[in-house]
Amino acid sequence: MKTTNAFLLNLYGLLVLGLPLAGLGYALLGSVGLAGPLAGGFTGEYWRALGTGSGLPYAALYSVWVAVASVGLSVAVALALVLLAQPTLRRPAVVGLLYVPLLMPSLVVGFYLFQLLSRAGWLSRVSVGLGLTGSLQGFPELVQDGAGVGIILAHVLLSFPFLTLLFQALYQETRLEEYRQLTLTLGASAGQFRRSVAVPVLLRRAAPALLLSFIATLGAYDIPLLLGRPYPQMLSVYIATRLQRFDLHDLPAAYLAGFLVAGVLLGLIAVLLRLTRRARLL
Amino acid sequence: MRSKLLTFLLVLLFALPFALLGLLAVSENWRFPAVLPPGYSLDPLRSLVAADNDLLAGLGRSLLLAGTVAVVATTGGFGLARAVARSRWAARWEAASYLPYALPPVLLAVLIQPFIIRLHLSGSVGGVLLGLLLVALPFATLLLRSCWSRQATEYEQLARTLGCTPQQALRRVLLPLAWPLLRTTLFQTFLLAWFDFGLTNVLSVGKVRTLTVQVFTYVGEANAPLAAVASLLLLLPPALLLLANKSALLRKP
Repeated sequence: MKTTNAFLLNLYGLLVLGLPLAGLGYALLGSVGLAGPLAGGFTGEYWRALGTGSGLPYAALYSVWVAVASVGLSVAVALALVLLAQPTLRRPAVVGLLYVPLLMPSLVVGFYLFQLLSRAGWLSRVSVGLGLTGSLQGFPELVQDGAGVGIILAHVLLSFPFLTLLFQALYQETRLEEYRQLTLTLGASAGQFRRSVAVPVLLRRAAPALLLSFIATLGAYDIPLLLGRPYPQMLSVYIATRLQRFDLHDLPAAYLAGFLVAGVLLGLIAVLLRLTRRARLL
Repeated sequence: MRSKLLTFLLVLLFALPFALLGLLAVSENWRFPAVLPPGYSLDPLRSLVAADNDLLAGLGRSLLLAGTVAVVATTGGFGLARAVARSRWAARWEAASYLPYALPPVLLAVLIQPFIIRLHLSGSVGGVLLGLLLVALPFATLLLRSCWSRQATEYEQLARTLGCTPQQALRRVLLPLAWPLLRTTLFQTFLLAWFDFGLTNVLSVGKVRTLTVQVFTYVGEANAPLAAVASLLLLLPPALLLLANKSALLRKP
């Protein structure tokens, strides 16, 4: 039995550790000119170009902005629902409704929002029908826009129902309703209970899930591919686009970007694991 | 009153995608600024049953791929979770399991692509399957780790003491105990593969045309009716799974 277990774990290690780490190693070697189809010996050229080129840093900043805005908005909506609409959230039909977005692949949400929010989309048509706008240009640019509004809205649509269900489960698990009555008896206002008790408890308990949502949005691919612009691009789109170009000279820079992004995400996952352990102890 | 308004808004928010995609799927010559289609046609839906239909082939391919990933990952995850639980370095194996699951699938695909090419699996179903298993297997292992608690081990030992063979203890004791979690894992790994686009698209270089790849292709060709039909087909299995078991969709490792 012990030999079978050891054999299974070695095979598993080869797949889940060996392959991705070998990929990371290959990306690192590719970024210094030691691997890849055009490998011609060691060079620090691509690392030095990081300081001068704006592509990767801009893609990173843009991804962070989208992730912060998406998770921030989703958390705000979910907290508002849980703290201000408790009676509604106790109705099974409403809970059932919140499961609906879990059925939706992000690619389908991207396609749907494109059909809904683009300048030739359904909302723009309704707006023309109501006389609010007169032409395509009169409707605001909500998808493939510079600020990533469409991308953010798509992520909010996908994640706020999940976060609402999570916060609602935590609200019941931590008996916040009883704390609410206690704080009200002790003279606090409903607003004070929400600000000083409920929000800190819910956010602390949900921290691992929130960080996971942040990481998932940071590395999102399907939605920004459909609803984003060629510039600025989110990180995954930026890397995949460069790797799929016909010009092989772009490969080392793409390997460098892949290596750096994977390194940062793995760092965030280490933080996540620590947070999860701490949340289990709370 | 406020409760009814909120419920109405949520219904509107979540029903609109289905309504709009449904309209797009049956619309004919629906151009700006018409709010509703000038005509309706069931042609895209009717063509689904044609023998050489690409969408139907994509649906079959996606079902086969996601089904295989779900079965292999759940079966493998069950055995691996046991091996991890009995290992001296259980916590380290658990942490290692987060590695491929933590990286965005498209980034993972980009990192392993050179090796997939060397294995002559690029652009093949085998390459996509390997890539999807790389994400689904650790996910299943993490999800199934609680099947091998001390209590489960004690039940297994008790069954062996009472005369069960290892196979009987597995079939009669451990599998029934683990069944709810196994079902959840089967659902979730199926959905993980069913929803995937980035990893499949990168590893298959567009050659393995699953439903998600087809949605993207139709969007690129500005063929909104077919993209809408493919999108609705993508929503069908998760909807059936949701009806079958709500909690199975929400559990996280």
